[in-house]
Amino acid sequence: MMKKLIGKAGPVVLTLIVVVAAVLVGRYLWDYYTNAPWTRDGHIRADVVQIAPDVSGLITEVKVTDNQLVKRGQVLFVIDRARYALALKQAEAALAQQSAGLLQAKREAARNRGLSDLVARENIEQSEARVQQDEASVAAAATAVEVARLNLQRTVVSSPVDGYLNDRTPRVGDYVSTGKPVLSMVDAHSFHVDGYFEETKMNRVQVNQPVEIQIMGETHKLRGHVQSIAAGIEDRDRSNGATLLPNVNPTFNWVRLAQRIPVRITLDEVPADFRMIAGRTATVAVVAGKGGQQ
Amino acid sequence: MIGEIEIYGVYFPSLLILMVLAFGVTAGLRILLGQLGFYKLVWHRSLMNFALYVIVLGGFVVLTRGW
Repeated sequence: MMKKLIGKAGPVVLTLIVVVAAVLVGRYLWDYYTNAPWTRDGHIRADVVQIAPDVSGLITEVKVTDNQLVKRGQVLFVIDRARYALALKQAEAALAQQSAGLLQAKREAARNRGLSDLVARENIEQSEARVQQDEASVAAAATAVEVARLNLQRTVVSSPVDGYLNDRTPRVGDYVSTGKPVLSMVDAHSFHVDGYFEETKMNRVQVNQPVEIQIMGETHKLRGHVQSIAAGIEDRDRSNGATLLPNVNPTFNWVRLAQRIPVRITLDEVPADFRMIAGRTATVAVVAGKGGQQ
Repeated sequence: MIGEIEIYGVYFPSLLILMVLAFGVTAGLRILLGQLGFYKLVWHRSLMNFALYVIVLGGFVVLTRGW
């Protein structure tokens, strides 16, 4: 009787033991793939500097080519130097004119003071006032010369950062306007990775945690650490209507998608032959068990 | 975990490949265990097979952690 019961229970117990083991393994797999802080939604990013000329005019010389690596201060292109050189000459001529007027006014004033017994007091005052006016005019003309000189300097547009040019450098003969960007540069020292983590994983992402980064198509991994976590993202479910009342989107209670939070990652270890290209796709995984809580 | 397999321009998570591998290994294991008469000691054959599959898959995942 007893033996028969054990004979029956044996297969049940064995099966259940294996099933329990499988449940534990399954839980581990779920945690590993679904709850662990990692995301395939990451990108290499860099600061982009837009170069706008400070003076308008025709481009007379371009000293760089597309995609070129340039150093800070390196000349990019030159705008119509001749025109601004002429403007400087004009300002200098105006200064000479004002200076001549001032000298004459000073001579007259000195003469009038010397003959103060014969000249009406009003005339003396007038000639002294003219000296002061002409001094002010000379100062204004001198400033105009400085401005013209500055404009002439600014016809040479140079790079504000070490970086890579984009592939649309301006051509000789293009007309460029003050303040309108004509080319952009990728700052070579600003490369970093932004990982967009699901908000459900944020409690497992801490600042300074080490991170592994797999760039799509690369064999070697990059290493870095969490530098900072964004403090806010746009509320997509709310906008203001025409009446300035809130317009709140009704959401489903059942099916909802986790939003993504940008986490900025500083790169620590990059293979020497790796080519940084802003915008490349990155898979970002926070390394478990080090730094912060895990 | 973060690895990907590229098949002609389309990227698949490495888990997919591991699942196919684990299925193949479990199929072999099933034949082997059947010949050894193991299934006489088993309560529900399909339940045992599924549990074995999950355990084999877990083994593959642990082996390829660094990927």
